[in-house]
Amino acid sequence: MERFAFLRRFTRNRGALIGALLILLVTVTALAAPLLFPTDPLRMVGPPELWPGEDPAFPLGTDSLGRDMLAMLVHGARATLLIGLFASAMATLIGVSVGAIAGYFGGWIDEAAMRAVELFQTIPNLIFVLTIVVILGSTLHNIVIAIGIVSWTPIARMTRAEFLALRDREFVQACRSMGMHAPGIIVREILPNALPPVIVLSSLVVASAILFESAVSFLGLGDPNVASWGRLVGDGRQLIRSSWYICAIPGIAIMVTVLCLNLIGDGLNDALNPKLRDR
Amino acid sequence: MSALLVLDDVHVRFNTAAGQVQAVNGVSLDLAVGETLGLVGESGCGKSTLGKAILRLVPTSAGEIRIDGADIAPLDGAALTELRRKVQMIFQDPYGSLNPRSTVGRSVAQPLVLAGWKRDAIAERVDMLLSWVGLPPEARQRYPHEFSGGQRQRIGIARALALNPKLIICDEPVSALDVSVRAQVINLLEDLKAKVGMSYLFISHDLSVVEHIADRVAVMYLGTIVEIGSRDRIWREPQHPYTRALLAAAPIANPKLARARRRTILQGELPSPLDPPTGCPFHSRCPMAQARCKVEPPSLRAIGVGTQAACHFI
Repeated sequence: MERFAFLRRFTRNRGALIGALLILLVTVTALAAPLLFPTDPLRMVGPPELWPGEDPAFPLGTDSLGRDMLAMLVHGARATLLIGLFASAMATLIGVSVGAIAGYFGGWIDEAAMRAVELFQTIPNLIFVLTIVVILGSTLHNIVIAIGIVSWTPIARMTRAEFLALRDREFVQACRSMGMHAPGIIVREILPNALPPVIVLSSLVVASAILFESAVSFLGLGDPNVASWGRLVGDGRQLIRSSWYICAIPGIAIMVTVLCLNLIGDGLNDALNPKLRDR
Repeated sequence: MSALLVLDDVHVRFNTAAGQVQAVNGVSLDLAVGETLGLVGESGCGKSTLGKAILRLVPTSAGEIRIDGADIAPLDGAALTELRRKVQMIFQDPYGSLNPRSTVGRSVAQPLVLAGWKRDAIAERVDMLLSWVGLPPEARQRYPHEFSGGQRQRIGIARALALNPKLIICDEPVSALDVSVRAQVINLLEDLKAKVGMSYLFISHDLSVVEHIADRVAVMYLGTIVEIGSRDRIWREPQHPYTRALLAAAPIANPKLARARRRTILQGELPSPLDPPTGCPFHSRCPMAQARCKVEPPSLRAIGVGTQAACHFI
C-alpha cells in the first residue's frame, strides 16, 4: 500500500519519470556491456577519426586511435555509474554517521563535528579531490574515496538538522523513558524518520560524483585502465578543433545522465516530502 | 498507606541563552500506592517538567526523588532499567508519541523487547494489552497514521502498561483529544487502574478532568506547589487565592450556579520563570497581596487534615 502510494507520487512528476527511465536504460546498457561488445573496448578496431555515420560498423565513429566510440561509451557507462554510486554511498555513510551523532548528542560533540564539516567545506571541492587522488594514486578505488571525502558534508548537515528536529519528539522521549540506549534510538527510531530528505540529497551526490570523476579524468588523473566517460572527453580534447565529436559524444552522455539524476532527485523530493503529499 | 513516590524539595533548572530558568522550585509531595494525584496549573508552571524529572528525562538540580524508598538520581545500568520498568509515561500529543514509521505492534512491544522478553511471550502480551485498551489484534500490523487521536492515545496507554508499572505519569493525556473522546480515555484509565492497581500522577490544566479522576490534587504555580489536599476538600473549600481563581475560571454546567458564584478573575500573565517575583511567586497577581508577600516567600503549611497551602493569610 504505502509503497504503491510512493510510486504514484513519484511518477506524477513527469520529469522524474523520464529521468528514471533513461537512467534505467543507461544502467541496463552498462550491465549488458560485455554482451553487446565482448571485446576490449580499448582495442583498435578500425581507421582513426571516423565520423559518426561514416561507417555503419561504427555508428558513433572511432577516436584518434581507431577505437570504437560506441563500445567505449557503453563500457564507460559501467565505470561512470559505479563511481557515482559508490562515491555517493560512501559520502552518505560518512555524512549520516557524523550528522546523526552530532544532532543527537549535541553539545561539544555537535560543535566539534560541525567545525570539522566547515573545515572540509572551506577547501574547494575539485582541488581537494585532485589533491587526494594525486596523494593516494590514480586508481578507481582512490577516486571513489576522494569523491566520498569531499561530498559528505552537505549530507552531514542535512542529517544533523533532521536529528535536531526529531530528537526531542515525544516518541523519542518515550523510548528514553523505557530505557532504550542511544544507538538503538538513533538507528531504529530516529533514522528511519530522518532518511527521506537524505535520500534525495544522496541521489544528487551521485550526479555530482559523476561530474567530479569526469573532471579528474579529463585532467588526465583518472584510472588509466578504466575508460570512463570523463576520460573519453579528456582523450578527445587534443582533436577538439577537427574531430570535436570525440569530446561531444561522451560529454552529452555525462550531461544527460547528470540531468536525469537531478530529475530523479527532484521527483524523490516531491514524493518523500510529506508536506507535498496528495496534492 | 505506604508512599510509592516521594519528592523532597525538588528543583529543576535549565540554562538557556536568556539566563537560568527555575522550572521546578522546591516541590515536595508524596503519592501513595494505588492513588491518583492530580497536578494542575497553568501552561508553563513546570508541571510537565516535574513529570519528566521523575522519569529522569530531565535532570534535577537539587532535592531528592524517591521511588519505593530509593533515590533515583544515582541509579544507572540495571537499577535504572528496573526504575524504568516501575515508572512509565503517557504523553500529551498522540500524534507525536508514536514513531510514525513503526507499526503499532512494534511500538507496544518495545518495552517488552528492551526487558528481554521472548518472541512468543511478547506477541501474547501485546495482544492482551491491545484488548485491554479496546483495540483489535489486527491493529498490530498497522501504522499510527491509520488511527484516530483517541485510538493512538490508547496505543500509548497500552505501551505504558506493557511491563505492569507501579506508577504512570500521565502528561496531559487528554488535552489534545476531542471532548467526545476524552471521557472514553479517562474511563479507560480508571478501568485499567482498577484492573492493574497502579498509581497515576495525572498532570493536567483541565480541572474538570482532574476533578473526575484524582483522589488528591496538587496546585502548582510558577514551579512551586501552592496548595495540596484531597480533591473534595479543594473543590469545596479552596484555601489559596490562586486555587480559588483557578476554580472560579472553570466553567460550571448549571447556569444558575454559574451566575450565583463570585468570580475572582486573574489579572495579568504568568510571570516569566526567567525572572520570578521575589517573595511569594503569586503576589504580582494576587488580590490579597500585601507588602509582606513581596519580601517573604510563604512555605507550605498544614491547614486541617491532609491539606496544605502556601499563603501568609490563611
